[in-house]
Amino acid sequence: MFDDIPVEVGLVHAGERIRKNDMYVEMGGPEIKEKFELVKVRSLDVVQDDAITVIGPDISDMEPGKKYPLGILIEIAGAQLEEDIEGVIERRIHEYANYLEGFMHLNQRYDIWVRLSRKAYNKGFTTLAYFGRVLMRLLKNELPIIERMQITFFTDPEKIPAVYAEARHAYEARDARARGLTDGDVDLFYGCALCQSFAPSHVCVITPQRYANCGAISWFDGRAAARIDPKGPIFPIEKGDCLDTVRGEYTGINESAKKRSLGQVSRVYLYSAFTYPHTSCGCFEGIAFYIPEVEGFGIVMRGYRNVTVNGLPFSTMADSTAGGRQVDGFHGISLEYMRSPKFIAADGGYERIVWMPADLKEQLREFIPGDLIEKIATEKDVTTISDLVTFLTKASHPVIARWKPEEAGTVKDALGASPVFSAGEFPFQAGGFKIILKNARIYADKVTIVPIKPKRPGRGE
Amino acid sequence: MLSIYTTLNPGVERLTGKGINIRFKELQSDIGFIKDLELSIGKLSEERWSEPQGPTPFPSIIALRNWDRQLLKRYPPFYLPFCDLCCLCTYGKCDLTGTKRGACGITIGAQQSRMVLLATCIGAATHVSHAHELVECAIRKYGAGFPLDPGGLAVEVEAPVIRLVCGIKPEKLGDLEGVLEYLESQVTCLLSSVHTGQEGDNLDLESKVLHAGMIDQVGMEVADIAQISAFGYPKADPDAPLVDLGMATVDTTKPVILIIGHNVPPAISIVDYLAAHRLTDEVTVTGICCTAIDVTRYTANAKIIGPISWQLRYIRSGIPDVIVVDEQCIRTDALYEAEKIHAPFIATSEKNCMGLPNRTQDPADAIVRDLVSGKMPGVLILDPAKVGEVTVRVAREVAPERRKVGSLLSTKEIIELARNCTQCKQCRRACPNDLHIPESMKAATKGNTTMASDMYEVCVGCGRCEQACPQNIPIHTIIISAASRTMGEEKFRCRTGRGAIQDVEIRKVGGPLVLGEIPGVVAFVGCANYPKGGKEVAEMCVEFAKRRYIVCTSGCSAISIGMYRDEEGKTPYEQYPGSFDAGGIVNVGSCVANAHIAGAAIKIASIFARRNLRGNYEEIADYVYNRVGAVGVAWGAMSQKAAAIASGFWRLGIPVVVGPHGTKYRRMLLGRADRDEDWYVHDRRTGNEVYVGPVPEHLFFSAETKEEAMVMIAKLCMRPNDTGKGRAIKLTHYIDLHKRLLGTIPDDIYRYVRTMTDVPITEKEEITRQLHAHDWVENTIPDPTLLLWQIKKQEQ
Repeated sequence: MFDDIPVEVGLVHAGERIRKNDMYVEMGGPEIKEKFELVKVRSLDVVQDDAITVIGPDISDMEPGKKYPLGILIEIAGAQLEEDIEGVIERRIHEYANYLEGFMHLNQRYDIWVRLSRKAYNKGFTTLAYFGRVLMRLLKNELPIIERMQITFFTDPEKIPAVYAEARHAYEARDARARGLTDGDVDLFYGCALCQSFAPSHVCVITPQRYANCGAISWFDGRAAARIDPKGPIFPIEKGDCLDTVRGEYTGINESAKKRSLGQVSRVYLYSAFTYPHTSCGCFEGIAFYIPEVEGFGIVMRGYRNVTVNGLPFSTMADSTAGGRQVDGFHGISLEYMRSPKFIAADGGYERIVWMPADLKEQLREFIPGDLIEKIATEKDVTTISDLVTFLTKASHPVIARWKPEEAGTVKDALGASPVFSAGEFPFQAGGFKIILKNARIYADKVTIVPIKPKRPGRGE
Repeated sequence: MLSIYTTLNPGVERLTGKGINIRFKELQSDIGFIKDLELSIGKLSEERWSEPQGPTPFPSIIALRNWDRQLLKRYPPFYLPFCDLCCLCTYGKCDLTGTKRGACGITIGAQQSRMVLLATCIGAATHVSHAHELVECAIRKYGAGFPLDPGGLAVEVEAPVIRLVCGIKPEKLGDLEGVLEYLESQVTCLLSSVHTGQEGDNLDLESKVLHAGMIDQVGMEVADIAQISAFGYPKADPDAPLVDLGMATVDTTKPVILIIGHNVPPAISIVDYLAAHRLTDEVTVTGICCTAIDVTRYTANAKIIGPISWQLRYIRSGIPDVIVVDEQCIRTDALYEAEKIHAPFIATSEKNCMGLPNRTQDPADAIVRDLVSGKMPGVLILDPAKVGEVTVRVAREVAPERRKVGSLLSTKEIIELARNCTQCKQCRRACPNDLHIPESMKAATKGNTTMASDMYEVCVGCGRCEQACPQNIPIHTIIISAASRTMGEEKFRCRTGRGAIQDVEIRKVGGPLVLGEIPGVVAFVGCANYPKGGKEVAEMCVEFAKRRYIVCTSGCSAISIGMYRDEEGKTPYEQYPGSFDAGGIVNVGSCVANAHIAGAAIKIASIFARRNLRGNYEEIADYVYNRVGAVGVAWGAMSQKAAAIASGFWRLGIPVVVGPHGTKYRRMLLGRADRDEDWYVHDRRTGNEVYVGPVPEHLFFSAETKEEAMVMIAKLCMRPNDTGKGRAIKLTHYIDLHKRLLGTIPDDIYRYVRTMTDVPITEKEEITRQLHAHDWVENTIPDPTLLLWQIKKQEQ
């Protein structure tokens, strides 16, 4: 497949780094202002299949050790291609460019940074056309819906500004569309069964406003994947009728969940952590956890290493969250979902969030309603529930409106004062005696009841 | 009718928060009328764990027989008799060749499996007994109520193997005692089945081998979580410290203590004594084998000299001033070797007394005096605290006198001694690795010692050559003396044992594992005790880390991996992070820390699928076997412990690759890729039988070369549940390694392609040709299980 390419092509080269000393030339990178990679869907008649053009100096014309601008424009055409797929294909450039031995590609869009090693140059990698050919073959092989493809490389400092501006414009338009797209705008959602290989009863539902829990698959990715591989693990879900706009319940999702989970999950609320929440696999990026004492949610991400405000670390709560079950109040989420206006919208959205790690708050600053920023506590403000109560009260967090007057400010005593056992007559045997307790009330922190004949070593069957 | 199963401890007066207090003024009962009685219940049932109990808590030796049979049906034993005779009873020796049966009626197959069972029982007994001593020692020091804490906040499932096998959730050191009692009963039971006229069916014997392996795994977990908790080792810490490794890291101007073995309390008491007397900078503590790793988990000041095969060379170098041994994998001639360099010797284990007088009850002063004066070459001291004091004092007193005199030879001396060689070649016959010793002696007589020094790297340090030499030439000493420059350059870094894998780390790699971006988990364990074994293990480890597999390691392999540098002079531990992630090299610790590698596989089931672990071995093993792409590699393993460790992995469904010498483990467990009927699973969703191809193809495989091993490792990472992208990436590595190392494209790719998405796009043309040639048809990717009852469960 790559006999005509002077270097090896394969996944095994994907992790290769090219240091400055080993580099022949650099294209793009932090010191070059104008660089980009862009995929555009065009109509069949304007794309000249297999054409690769270099506008400006090619590698053999470049001076060793120098830096050059680089624009990669990939134009594709095909009956089934839509604009939505452009971003998905664009991200493949990074993956496939790194298949080339002695070729390093970092970042994406207007941040790209490419290096060619001296070794690769000496092997005969003297033209960008090789890069183009590899991209073309790999992309077409993976995505047979691409019927025609042409690639243009821009390295001419004179010519690049115009196309660069066009690329910036294209990214902005694409982002605006993605941000503006709501769950109501589309007819199809996507389901992802990838995690089912490890968590068989979990089914992820991916909508424009609810990213996959793992944070790796957007609605656009789902759409592209389902189209490219119709028999694959990502599949379309007909939305069906909307049963509840607030909680986000759709007949199509319910049917799909029932089928995929073999009846274990029959209803799903997309935007709520209660009653029929979206299930969680094991690889969710974070957890929204309910704090009953304040009737609000805390959020903790996977990388947070300390205990959260409720005294539990991520690992403990994750255990309660995972496994494809619907657990009230322990909700697996992705970072991206927290940027969505639908983020636990049915439960109050950010008005219900009372605690999150400081780093996360910083990361989400522009997505949290401005008046709430200072009202949400972090580990720097409080470390216990009772401090949290004080903090929220002082900050007049909207969640306090939910507190019943007599409960406000008091933390319920978890132990309570009712006996775990009371009986008129309670006989038991111990130490050779039979003891009968009359009108006994037994108080305990916790009672475990097991069958009287306990399993003993060696009696496993 | 419910009743409360409880232990009443009327003697307990102190009430803890966990205890229960029953108080009443009047009690009328059959035994009388009682007033003002107060009952304190110290312990109400043994745990506070809501997970439902699974079907096989504390399984008996046959409780998992059906699961074992499932595995053994796919991977029947392929016998490689090490010996055709049986000489265990006085009927024998019995010739068992061909279809002959012995006097007791046994066949050769059953006899091989019986010997394997014996070996694995020895291995399991060793770890269980080791665990028992550690737990006892820790309880003596900190009490039975001391909490087990192997991983702080990052670990929720603290003892996955114990939870899985025993069905309990241990929280305190004392909870481990019940586990040990169970393990000891099982080893006794298993061992008894080896008796003449007992178990005679080869598959039943093999099933018991698997049971012994599982028992061994629990024993290892007990040992390691006890020592991590009690001694404050790194707790599931990916950034566990980098420590010195190699002979050249030792400052020979100071007194040097050498500790050999596996059971760390004496070594810890030496470190504590030094610290308490502000001598840490005055005396160097060095170690060989697992005690070395464990003592560096306790203090990063200690130094690791090398793996098991470094014993003779380090002692003969004369550097150690005092030699302390505990248990396991210690040369039984260590005392003899110590005497030759005038280093006092201290044995510290009941299991390894070495014929020495027991001085445990004697005052330290007297023992020190006798050792320093040379009145006694060695002593047995069974009290770790006393070992600490005596060792340090003796080291400081003898070091100035000894002046590190060893038995290394000058070139002139080498030439002289080599001249005695008659070229009888007995040495080469005795050498387990057929090294060209006679030729090197001949060259040495002419002043060329290069051949001798070149053997240093391939020599496993067994010393059999010297025993064979009729001229009494100190051949091993000649080899190491010729290579003294190499020894003098052994200066490396090793990441010390981090212990368990964090639950959070497992969660983090969940996505990439599911999406196939991480092609598998490869564990290099056991001793790399094979010519070039250390280097080969290091090379394999780096290759898989570079390919972004998760690489785990433990014990002597972990040490060997550190004794290798890249072009920039960095060891693998300096190049790759210690996190359980793509491209990480995870040193879990000493041999007993192996349990954490199995534990990580088990935790995947708990963390992703929320499967119950508690007493639920069969279901979890089925999960791991069908879903977790993990492979164990024991490149130079030689011991019975290694046999037991491997068996523990098999029962969990994790394949193990060994080096060529591994055939001496008497049988392989090989699958038959050509028999399609062997490779069907049940689809849990539909109940359909689905052909999934030979994944993993073998359960126990001996590779002839490092190259063959690497290709096999990549291949054995495939599992029936692989997603399309995951399979494509796994196949890419398999094909690439096969091309690079064996020079051809594998001819069995078609067996591993289920749908076209499995095909790596860079190899599409070639593979498509192969698929056509084999009339390939597309298949489905099931939710795989070998267990029929798993389907029923889904239908409910």
